[in-house]
Amino acid sequence: MTSGSAAYNLDDRRTSVSMSLRHSQSGRPSTPQHHLRSNNSSFASTSSASSSLRGEEDAIVFEFGSRWLRAGFEGDSTPTCVVGCGPEDSRRVGDYRGWLKGSLNAGSEPVKAQEWTGAYELWQMDVRDVDLGLVEDKIERMFRETYNKYLLTDAGTARLALVLPSIMPHPLLSSVLSTLFSRWRFPSITLLPSATMAVAAAGLRSALVIDIGWAETTVTGIYEYREIATKRSTRAMKSLLQETGRFLTRLSSNTSGDADEISMNFEFCEEFVSRFLWCKPQEGDHGSSALPQLTDPQEGASEMAEENIVGLLHKTVSIPSPSNPSSNYMEIPFSKLAEPVEKVLFAKGLADCDLDDEEKPVALLAYNTLLQLPPDIRGICMSRMVFIGGGANIPGVRQRILAEVASLIDQHGWSPVRGKVIDQQRQKLQNLSLNERPTSANSDNDTTPPSPRTCIRKGDGEKRGTEEEEIDPVEEKLRRTRDKDTKLPVQGLLREVESLGPWAGASLVASLKIRSLVEIEREKFLQHGLAGASRDLDTHGYVPDRRSGLRSGGDRSSWTLAGWG
Amino acid sequence: MSRPFPYAYISCPCADTPVPDPARKRRSKETSHKTNPEDPNVPVPEDYDFEDERTFDPRSPRSNFSLYPPEQLLYCEDCHQIKCPRCITEEIVCWFCPNCLFETPSSMVRSEGNRCARNCFNCPICTAPLAVTTLENVTGGGSQQGPWVLSCGYCMWTTLDIGVKFDKPTNIRTQLSKMTDSSRGRQMSKTFSDLKSPLSTYSSIDDQFPSPNEIRGDEASPINEQLSGPLNPEARFQALKGFYKSQIASTSSSPNDPLADFGAGFSSPGALNRIMSLYTSSSRLGSLYGGTSKKPKSKPPVMREALTASEGLRVPAPDAENALIRRMASDDCGWDGMASLEQRTFQSPDARFVEDLLPLPVLLRTKRSKRCKSCKHILVKPEFKPQSTRFRIRLIALSYIPLPTLKPLVPSPFAGLPSTTPTTAPNLDSLSPLRTVQFLLTLKNHMFDPVRVTLATPSVTPGRVASKVTILCPQFDIGANSDVWDEALQGSAAPGDARASRSGTLGSTEKVAEAGKVWDKGRNWTTVVLEVVPGSLPGGGGVTRRGRMKQHDDGSNDDDDNDDSDADSDANANALDWSGQTKDPNQRLQPDEDVLEIPVFVRMEWDSENQIDQEQSVGKGQNSDTVKRELAYWMVLGVGRISSEMGF
Repeated sequence: MTSGSAAYNLDDRRTSVSMSLRHSQSGRPSTPQHHLRSNNSSFASTSSASSSLRGEEDAIVFEFGSRWLRAGFEGDSTPTCVVGCGPEDSRRVGDYRGWLKGSLNAGSEPVKAQEWTGAYELWQMDVRDVDLGLVEDKIERMFRETYNKYLLTDAGTARLALVLPSIMPHPLLSSVLSTLFSRWRFPSITLLPSATMAVAAAGLRSALVIDIGWAETTVTGIYEYREIATKRSTRAMKSLLQETGRFLTRLSSNTSGDADEISMNFEFCEEFVSRFLWCKPQEGDHGSSALPQLTDPQEGASEMAEENIVGLLHKTVSIPSPSNPSSNYMEIPFSKLAEPVEKVLFAKGLADCDLDDEEKPVALLAYNTLLQLPPDIRGICMSRMVFIGGGANIPGVRQRILAEVASLIDQHGWSPVRGKVIDQQRQKLQNLSLNERPTSANSDNDTTPPSPRTCIRKGDGEKRGTEEEEIDPVEEKLRRTRDKDTKLPVQGLLREVESLGPWAGASLVASLKIRSLVEIEREKFLQHGLAGASRDLDTHGYVPDRRSGLRSGGDRSSWTLAGWG
Repeated sequence: MSRPFPYAYISCPCADTPVPDPARKRRSKETSHKTNPEDPNVPVPEDYDFEDERTFDPRSPRSNFSLYPPEQLLYCEDCHQIKCPRCITEEIVCWFCPNCLFETPSSMVRSEGNRCARNCFNCPICTAPLAVTTLENVTGGGSQQGPWVLSCGYCMWTTLDIGVKFDKPTNIRTQLSKMTDSSRGRQMSKTFSDLKSPLSTYSSIDDQFPSPNEIRGDEASPINEQLSGPLNPEARFQALKGFYKSQIASTSSSPNDPLADFGAGFSSPGALNRIMSLYTSSSRLGSLYGGTSKKPKSKPPVMREALTASEGLRVPAPDAENALIRRMASDDCGWDGMASLEQRTFQSPDARFVEDLLPLPVLLRTKRSKRCKSCKHILVKPEFKPQSTRFRIRLIALSYIPLPTLKPLVPSPFAGLPSTTPTTAPNLDSLSPLRTVQFLLTLKNHMFDPVRVTLATPSVTPGRVASKVTILCPQFDIGANSDVWDEALQGSAAPGDARASRSGTLGSTEKVAEAGKVWDKGRNWTTVVLEVVPGSLPGGGGVTRRGRMKQHDDGSNDDDDNDDSDADSDANANALDWSGQTKDPNQRLQPDEDVLEIPVFVRMEWDSENQIDQEQSVGKGQNSDTVKRELAYWMVLGVGRISSEMGF
């Protein structure tokens, strides 16, 4: 960097072309940056001094979602800006229609739910219908405006870290990378998986990350920063917004013809969702009988709180009237506002068998992911549930998911086997067995209950729970070394840990100068594109798990896409 | 579209060169037919190889990103090309606060979070600038000594609403950040985090300011604070950072860590790392020291996770969400008590209610110089001082490309046009379909060289609403932008006539638009006539047979039977059908589909003075002094909005 910045003292106009060659080889091409207060046209030495004082320039972290783009500098706790994506952002330059008064209510013609939300997406994961050129245009404009408006730094000079979902269609990934590389002179782009970053931002190494995102909800089991298992569901914010739109449409006009059509303003709906949607605590239908004190103190507290919440159900709140948000208000029962969430995220009123694999309710999804994990990892992960994504901000959703997972554990234990016959057999076995091997129903009573106990999978967790106290020498040793803080790693009980979010995690990781497994250098990408990524991960001297997302040493000459490959 | 009709947009030619994706190139090389199924539904014709033959479609969603108002475009004199914001690179010249116009030095920009460090704040409710006022003044005292607040002159919000008062009227930002313990305070103490025990300093800072403003952030859930410590997101972030740093330091300090570089100790998964170190120590160290493989065991380099709140762990209180819900439902909150999405954009992620919102320091702005992306030629260079609005260099495109202006030509009753309407200007916001309108397109040259212009337009505009366009004189010359006196001298022959015809509205009685003839011409401008027959809208209910027949009688559009005439027989039923078919979104009128926009391909040629570095230009002119240049681009003329009813 110092050599590069020293070179900027030269007159830029003459040398820029030849220098650009040199820069690209040195891997840090950058354009002269700030020549403030220097009235001479040569590029001021003050700028290079200041940048070399800062040492390496702070990397810039972007988090891509289908709806929002978060951007900021490494080492900051919150992104500098969060930029949305909507039809106003893909208007022509000089088209200020969005600012005209009255155009806000313009979206009154009914629109199909899919199109209604589609205009507000940066991309879809289903690339079949995506115009990649359009995505590139949008990304270019978003980046440019973000740099010019909020980041206020020259684009392309600093390293760039992108936080992406851990599964990205390659055409999209290629579009993003080639747009960024060809438009600006980023020396390298680092990719970071969002779920792992969320774990890092929670201070954990292993967690179950429940990301209630826009297009889909992903539940990812992460152990030691590696993604172990992932499950997805389409029950996410997009369908929640669509449902809310239908709900408001029904409220505003009783004559609605097509059920799938929404005649609401999208912004109003989003506003509505972010302000007022909430989620009831789990109802005591089967809960009150089977889980009086389900897992941990959380339940007790929420039980008590439930009384309060029940009192709220009869309240009414006034919201701007959906038909005319700017002037009228209308009263609406508070309990109504919990309905879309329950219907969409928790599939209320639908039997499990009616649901397709891709539309499992969130709690079941979390449970299934836990079930898929190996038992010891499961024990670690279940007491480290991390909620991220827009849906996690809806009040009540987290505790509802926790409670539902708890009751699922209570119902089924950790057995994937269900059905009447199984229950009968289990009953028989239970009658046969003389030693007490309690079925799940009556055992979960104390503080470490949800350790797996069924007849099929013999309680690994339970065994571990009892044995590790006495035998495990490593535990002993660890305990001795960390005698000061007496807390042990919590495991086996359902617990939520709050994360600062993927963006903050990436900022944290970048500021600690931890290298990502995927670091794409400009020259190499421009030669071959994504196809240049080496798939042969074994050639790296030392192979971390391919999904860990963090790299340690290894061969620098070839690059890989790791989990994205 | 939103601009008042008529308008003109210019498409930057950079849109024709798609983002070079090496992988895509390779893919298409492998199998050419494989690329086709990739995106068959894309409405844009994406055959970029045949770029020249492609008609620019102003309706395609991508064209929104390449169309610019002419005044926003730049021109690179080295590349001889129009430059839009996409094909330039920008460099920041200075940072300044748009409110106080003070410049911020580059070294301070980052640490101040790209925001004004002085007294400039925006209202968190309505974004109007806040003023520093004294409380004493409000109550009538003139002492000026009292506590100070920020108040919004628009929505009457003051910092008293969130319980914030300031001791002195200066340095509000520092006072506020001290009180709220927000990010800026953290940034200042960032250096401390590199000390050995960063957490202690943070907790002490947290304790230092238990001001009444501790309410913010976690205040929404007071129970939270008791259980998980008073760390707000920023403090938590720093705690986590400190924790990770100490962990890295302690785990990578083990001397026999074989994974040499610093990053290995922490970036690799702990368990794997330990296994690796066991292997290597048994092989390498084992041979050296004879089985001292206990050593790594005694000090396992395992990173642990954060365990306490001071390390950044946060287990939310079980009742936190319920408290939120209760507060949402309470009577004093309501819809307006919740912060809107827009208000929350730049606030702490915890801020949910209006009471949580903090005044926002004004975001800085920058002055940027712009360079051509391909040749690095400077296109725009502003003065450095924020107060100055002058530019040192500014190569705007309008001084190189002709400025297009469009206005309707009002037909005169005696001009032989078959219309019987009175001579009023057609209402461009509702053009009646299938009815000829004539426009005057004036191109004004700002170069000092005469220009030869060729216009081309598709005879039928792309899209479902097919309007027919004819440029009556597609090829013409525009004079040089020479001395203004030339025109005055030339025009002295018939000044009244020239003026009248230029305005096009006054009695241009004797003039009739003729094919192949320029309508009017001045010193550096030329006007040609554009004849437009707006197409009929698909959902148009007023397309009655009578109207259609009359149109045919009029003969103004005798070849209007591409796809409408078969619907002619039962136009009424058809119209009804269309409106009833609303379930099919393709049949319905898309937003802005009724806007009549004409893509026009402009090609201009001129001889310019040769410059030394331009030997390899397009072609030599007659003498060695001049060089023939050409520039071609697409332009979109927004003519008007087609109304759904036939107007007569």
